[in-house]
Amino acid sequence: MKDISKLSDEKIIEMVCKKDKELYVHVIKRYQDKLLRYANYLIGDEHNAADIVQESFIKAYVNLKGFDTKKFFSSWIYRIVHNETMNIVKKQKKQVSLYEEKDFDSGVDIEDDFIKKELENHTHNCLDKMPVIYKEPLSLYYLEEKSYEEISDILRIPIGTVGTRINRSKALMKKICQTKK
Amino acid sequence: MSNKKITSKEHKKVDLEKEVMSKVTSGQIVMKPKWYFVLGSVFSIFGIAALSVVSVFLINIMMFLLRKHGPMGQWRIETMLESFPLWIPLLAILGVIIGIWFLKKYDFSYKKNFVVIIVGFILSMIVAAFLIDQLGLNDIWARRGMMRKFYQRIESQENITPNNQDKGNLQNGQGNRYIKNK
Repeated sequence: MKDISKLSDEKIIEMVCKKDKELYVHVIKRYQDKLLRYANYLIGDEHNAADIVQESFIKAYVNLKGFDTKKFFSSWIYRIVHNETMNIVKKQKKQVSLYEEKDFDSGVDIEDDFIKKELENHTHNCLDKMPVIYKEPLSLYYLEEKSYEEISDILRIPIGTVGTRINRSKALMKKICQTKK
Repeated sequence: MSNKKITSKEHKKVDLEKEVMSKVTSGQIVMKPKWYFVLGSVFSIFGIAALSVVSVFLINIMMFLLRKHGPMGQWRIETMLESFPLWIPLLAILGVIIGIWFLKKYDFSYKKNFVVIIVGFILSMIVAAFLIDQLGLNDIWARRGMMRKFYQRIESQENITPNNQDKGNLQNGQGNRYIKNK
């Protein structure tokens, strides 16, 4: 049997569907960190983000046979997380911003790490002030390192719109961060 | 405290993995079968096709009724507005809206300019309806075939205006289309 870590996502999905459902654990391992981070950027709440990701993995498993293995699994699972997050956002009506309230892991006593965390936190604060339609493409492009095409597939918007939104969000980010200073 | 937090974060990850996998292995969650998705696709294709046909037909009926009476002056338009079976345009609009909603579900819809897709969809239906009317299919269907009764009903529905209902023109065989002019 081939080494699972060398197989593509799509190949693993095929194996999960046809042979061994327990291989799904490898899919979870590959994506849980990325998806937790992404959901956290969008919702700004670690607990909600964890719930969203868990629910997304469950939904993905249930609908796994509906996934077209000729396409990117990555875009598909991000799309599920996006939908789940939007459902929560709609339910809450307004975005919950917990960045101001939550205490980041400041206990790490190395100065560099502290500065890094501060910068990260500052960026999160700026990002958190942006509307979701701009925040999402920006985080997908810069933080998740997705291509325009993948972002287009995740958000279901034309590639041109992805470019426009990223440009606008960059300008918005600059404006928000400068105002904060 | 920080160690505690880091540990809890790690725990969350492991919990998430364990939680999902325990549901998978215990059979608490199962994959939907392939046919479920195939059936979904088939239904949505048929749905779009059926809605398009119904909408084209209804738009065509509207054109047929307008052509028969023709908006040739204020009095004619007023009469027509009073008696026109409004359910036809309403149903046609509903069909178009549901059709667009179906189209939006498809992968290609977001890769192209969706406004162009919508405009193209509506225009193609109007053109199809216009062609059906111009080819004289309405006149054929109104005279014979299964559709005859339907055409008779909508024409009679159109002829009964609120102002003229008491005249019972349909029962006595007279058309009431021109009563207002007398």
